[in-house]
Parts: sequence; C-alpha cells; structure tokens
Amino acid sequence: MGAITPAGSGVSALREFLKSGTSFIGDLHLFPVSQENRFPVGEIQADLESDTIPRTHQLALSAAREALKHAANPPDALVLGVTTGGMLTTETLLKQGISDPAAFRFHATGSVAEYLEEELGCKGPVLTVSTACSSGAAAIKTAAEMLRAGQAKQILAGGADCLCRLTCYGFKSLQLIDPKGAKPWDQQRRGMSVAEASALVLLEAGEESPDNALAEILGAGLSCDAYHPSSPHPDGDGALAAMTAAIRDAEISLSDVDYISLHGTGTPDNDLSEAKALVRLFGEHPPRFSSVKGALGHSLAASGAVEAVISVLCTQLGQIPANTGCTLPDPALKTVPALQPVKAEVETVLSNSFGFGGNNAVLVLGTVRKKRTVSEKKHLPLRILGQSCITGAGRLGESLEKLLAGENCKGILSPADLSQNLSPGAVRRMKRLPRMVLSLAISAFEQSGCPEKPDAVYMGTGWGPLSETHDFLTRLFASDEKFTSPTDFIGSVHNAPAGHAAMHFGARGPNITVTGGDSSFEQALMAADLLAGNRENPFLLLAADEFHSALSPLFDPSVLESEYSDGGGAFCVKKSEKAEGICISPLFFENGEGNPEIISSLIRKLETQQNDFAAIMAGIPAAFREKGEDQLQEFVSLAKWNCPVADYRKWTGEFASASAVAAVLSSAFVRAGEIPAALCMGTPCDLKGKGILLLGLGKFVTAVGITP
Amino acid sequence: MENLIKELKVKIVEVLNLIDVRPEDIRPDDQLVGGKLGIDSIDVLELVMMIEKDYSVKIDNKEIGAKVFGSLRSMAAYIQQNAPGLAN
Repeated sequence: MGAITPAGSGVSALREFLKSGTSFIGDLHLFPVSQENRFPVGEIQADLESDTIPRTHQLALSAAREALKHAANPPDALVLGVTTGGMLTTETLLKQGISDPAAFRFHATGSVAEYLEEELGCKGPVLTVSTACSSGAAAIKTAAEMLRAGQAKQILAGGADCLCRLTCYGFKSLQLIDPKGAKPWDQQRRGMSVAEASALVLLEAGEESPDNALAEILGAGLSCDAYHPSSPHPDGDGALAAMTAAIRDAEISLSDVDYISLHGTGTPDNDLSEAKALVRLFGEHPPRFSSVKGALGHSLAASGAVEAVISVLCTQLGQIPANTGCTLPDPALKTVPALQPVKAEVETVLSNSFGFGGNNAVLVLGTVRKKRTVSEKKHLPLRILGQSCITGAGRLGESLEKLLAGENCKGILSPADLSQNLSPGAVRRMKRLPRMVLSLAISAFEQSGCPEKPDAVYMGTGWGPLSETHDFLTRLFASDEKFTSPTDFIGSVHNAPAGHAAMHFGARGPNITVTGGDSSFEQALMAADLLAGNRENPFLLLAADEFHSALSPLFDPSVLESEYSDGGGAFCVKKSEKAEGICISPLFFENGEGNPEIISSLIRKLETQQNDFAAIMAGIPAAFREKGEDQLQEFVSLAKWNCPVADYRKWTGEFASASAVAAVLSSAFVRAGEIPAALCMGTPCDLKGKGILLLGLGKFVTAVGITP
Repeated sequence: MENLIKELKVKIVEVLNLIDVRPEDIRPDDQLVGGKLGIDSIDVLELVMMIEKDYSVKIDNKEIGAKVFGSLRSMAAYIQQNAPGLAN
C-alpha cells in the first residue's frame, strides 16, 4: 500500500492518524484565493520533486513508489481513479494565456496513469476510471475483476486527485463547502472540505494468498442512483444497492461487517441519504462506523482508495478511526458514529464511496482469509443488439452513404442535428458532449428493438465535457475568481454524460466512465467486459468526444487544423451464451512506450484467432502517424495476415473516440458480410462469414474483435 | 419593483436557458422552484450566482434561499431590500 494525504507522506502517517483522530483541515496555500473565497481544505504539506510535472501526477507517483517498495517487478496493469488530471496546471496555463500545446501534455485525466506506467516501466493495460468521487473505489473494483478474470497477476490500483480551482470553486458554487471545515454526521454540518491525496494498493489474485499479503479485497459493488446529476437519492436507494451488491459479491453476511468506513462527506444531503441506506440495511444498530473526511477532507477520486488503505489499517491495528469534527450527532440520522478512535477487533470492513452522477462504489476489505476455492465463472461474449454513431456526416446511415460515395465523414455535426432526437427542455443544461452521448445512447437502444431498457452504462471519453470545463474556467477567470456556473461544474465531470444516459433509462446498475486518450473506447469495452457479470440484461457501451475550438487544439495532439472533427459510437449490448448477433470482444491492450516487443506480443495473443478475421481496421492517430504505420507494417509482415487493411481515421477525422465510430461501422460491415468497394480500393471485400479486427496503434496498441 | 421583476424575467430565461419559456410567461406570484417552469435546485444555485454578480446580494444558505426563491416576487423583493443602490 502507498498513500500521500493531508495527514502526511506514507501509510505511516495514516496509521498515526487512526490512533489520534487529529484533523488536518486548514488554509489553502496552493493557489491565491480572494478573501471572500477563503475556506478550509485538506492540503498536503510536502515538498514535491518537480516543477514541471503536475501535482496529481506527483502525488500518484509518490503513493505508487511506496506501494511497490517490495515488489520485484512492475505490475501487469494499472487501474487508477482520477477526476481532474493535470487541471491545476492547466488552469494556471490558461490564465496566463499560454497557447503552446506542449505545455498541456499532462492535462488529460488519463495522463496520470500513463505517467505512472512510464515511470514504473509497466507495459500492460492501463485504465483510468473517472466516476467523480467514487473513482478510487470503482478503480479497485475494476482491478479486482481484472484479476478474477485472470487478465493480470498483479495490478496497481487506487486513486489520485489534487486540489484545483475547478473543484474548490465548483463545490463552493454548489454551496457544499462547510466554511468551518467538514463535520460529517453533525447536526450543524454544512458541507465538505475539499482535499487532495493519492493512495494505491498492489493487488494479486490467487487461491493461496501471498506470504506478505496485508489484507484481502473480499468483494465490491457498483450502482447508479439514476436520480440527479449532483444530489444523492433522498432515501439512499443507490447507496443501499451498492452496499448490498458488495456484500453479495464478498459472500459474507451482514453480521460479518465489523466496521463501515462512511462516504460521509459532511454535506447535509449526503449524510442523510447514507444514514438512511445504513438503517435500511442494518437497522438502527449498525456495526461501528465513522467518516474520516472531517479530518482528511474529501480527496474526490482518491478518497475511495485512501479509505481502502485505512480499512486495511483498521484490521491490522485493531483500531477504528474517529469521526473527527462531529460533536453533536444529528438525531435525524438515527445513528451515532465513533466519535473517538476506538480499539476493536476488525476483520471485515465495508468502505463506501459515492459520487456525482449518482455513481456508487462499495468495497469489502478484510483480513487475509484461509485458502478459498475460486469458482470458475464462464466468460460470456458481448453481443451487439443495436448501434449508432455520430460523425461529421451525421448518423450511421448518413456516414455510410458518404463513405459509399467515396467521400469521408470528417467534420462537426451542427448542434441542431446533434440534438435531433432530444427534447429541448430535457437537455437545456447540456452542452455538446452530454447531448452527443444521450443522443447516441437513445439511438443505439431504439435500433436494438430491445423490450427491456439498458440497466448499466460503460462509457469512454478522451477529453470529457470540454465545453462545460471551458465555460466554467472562462467565467471564473473573467470575474477575478469570484463567479462560476454551478451547472457547468456539475457538467464538467467526465462521468456527467453517462449519468444523463443512466437517468434517461433509469439504469441503476454500474455506471462507469473511463478515459485514456485514443484508447478510451477500448478501455470502456474492457470495463464492460469485466464488470457486466453474466447477467443477460442489455446495457450501453459507448465512447464520444466533442471538438472544442479553444481547448481541443491545445489538448489533443492529433487534432488537425482545417479538418476539425468529433463524434462517437454507441452499442446496446448484452452478455449472452446464445449464438445470436455480432460479438464485440477486447483482445489486446498494451502500452507501446518502452515496449519493443509489443507487436510480437499482439501476434502471440491473436495466434489462435487468425481465421476469425477477414479485414483489419487500423486507427492511427495523427500525432503517432509514423510510429503507428511502423507498428502496422510490422504486424502485417510478421503475422503474415493476408487481408485488406483500412486506415479509418482518414474517413472519420481525428478525435479520441474515432475507434468507437470505426467499431460501429465494422459491425455494420460484418452484418452485411462485406466492406464496400469504395473503402477497399475499388473492390468490395467479401468477409466470407468472418469478422473485422479493429487495431488501435500509436502510444498504446489495442485490438478489438468484431465477429459474426 | 415592477421594473426589477421585468428585468429578472429576462435574466431567468437567459441564465437558465429555458428554451420553451418566454419572459412574459413567468408570473410573479407563481411558485418559482419545482413549478411548471421546471426550475430545480441546480437552477437556484445558478440564480444565486447571477444575483450576487449582478446585484451584489449574497444568498449563501438554504434557509434564506427557500424564502427568496418562493416566487419571482419574493426574489425581487429580497434583491430590492438588500442590493446596494437599489432604492425602494
């Protein structure tokens, strides 16, 4: 385990905190604030090494180094929860009017995990989970499923977020900050204290636990309120569903839980909703519980991971942390937390994390159990029921029409065309990306003809809602950091668009948004494949990115002037044993940096599947053109695949989610049994009942199979 | 006060992007939040920001907010009473 929190550097600082219950909430020094905007925060007082690497990246690296202190090799994969990435640095650069894209190379939310991979020499898949305040816990759940599925032996998982103007002023604009510091569960509570932290855990799977194992992730549960973009469900429905799912997943009973680490932000609504969920699950006498956010603040994406580390410490030390800040427990909450640190034997902990968009993740952690038998679960394929895409040309039909006429579908669809199937009143607060996502989701579901509505959403986005982010910061800077838009803040989180889709469909299952530049769709597919379980309910799998005239050219190195494009693709899918419909499967995901064997590794992975595919769709982002073409060349010559290769970004244009469009087009071609002549140098490509391999090249090499 | 009400009608429609509402559709004594205009808690916070920015009037807790945003008239009255330079 590794951690850096307002309590100090290292897990040892948290160990001390557990015994003392001291508060680390104080003044903000990280950036200047006006007198009227002063409010206490949880800031880390540590000298960081670099002036050029953003703070979140450095916090994450500090936690990662500690977690890997005794590890002989880099982990096989990395799953990190992050919400704001390099935002603190980006804010300063934008304020200064810097327009050199190189300065923004660490802006992306996904760049924190990518930076860690490079620093640690990790070559495996990297996922960045961005589900607001539940990101850290959701990342650990995703990693646990990746281990259970046997896709990795060791995974580094957790979360990281540093303080920045966006989140500090954003929560202030929502009146969710307690001017005197958070006091969760207290009758006088008025809100949270925003904080920063990073915590990471090294996870390993196996029937036998390794000798040096500190604890076990026994299980985890995900749910979505599908109720409101920023407020929790008033009766705690989503929180209850996630806790119930976690307990079921861990195969424990309620009476096994010794301690509950609350989400407990200290906002009136969160604590009330969480208390109701606790009482509904455990009755009015739940196991001991407390929130550490009165002492450490709410470190957003990191909080779930920090609290996972604390949960482990509870079991090791036999110590329950105090609910610092609470002096007069609110009678309306009908339960009383541990007001002081308590000595108690703790074997099993339930750790709650809830976030914007109603995204809930609950972990069950405990002492290392005796040898357990892992029941082999059958891995069912993902079958496509319906699909839709948006390109510069329009929807799927219009995009295909253009392509058949030998033209491309680059460009940016007008806001009116984008919003065709959306009711104006319902989307009045949505800017470009959420509209795109909701429109895609509705079309994919309609096209599926499915009688049941989708109950979960897995979404990828390279850059998140850029319009909301831009407008929030512009208004903030224009008013000398006094005024912002609460609507834009809520809309700026990466998982806001998927939250709207969940609300539209009433999808109360997992709602996961992942981000990672040009591989965001591939990440979403991996997450869906891992987290959807084997239930045969339909769900949504999609990825989308908007073009923003001010921000896209700064952030995305592949954006080509005069060819600005955006869009995305969506599938309504289900896991099914029945051989019906086209399958979409994640086949390969590795980091290309410092990984010269990557193409051989890809070929080995696809060895047995060569006969499944009759064509390749290759995605080579403009920023990695040369590298990507070399990788493709190497693949084609080494694998001796004698099949047509289509370079799809030449039709879709350059945007992070272009591969989602390519996946939708591919599934249309596989259904039709051929790739039209216009796309194959004049001769139609007969797929002969086979599928299409979707390759992502450049910084990461990914492979997705689309097969009949 | 009537002028302020008129001014606020335009601002509400604009700030909240109430696409299918015309300023004259907002009746001063109708329920403002949770009524037929579709204004909810996020919109209220957006209005709080607008009122502070345009009229230098702070509304920073829910209890005051609940009174102020009862209707357009109560909102205008609160601004009128508390804004520097807005005489009755």
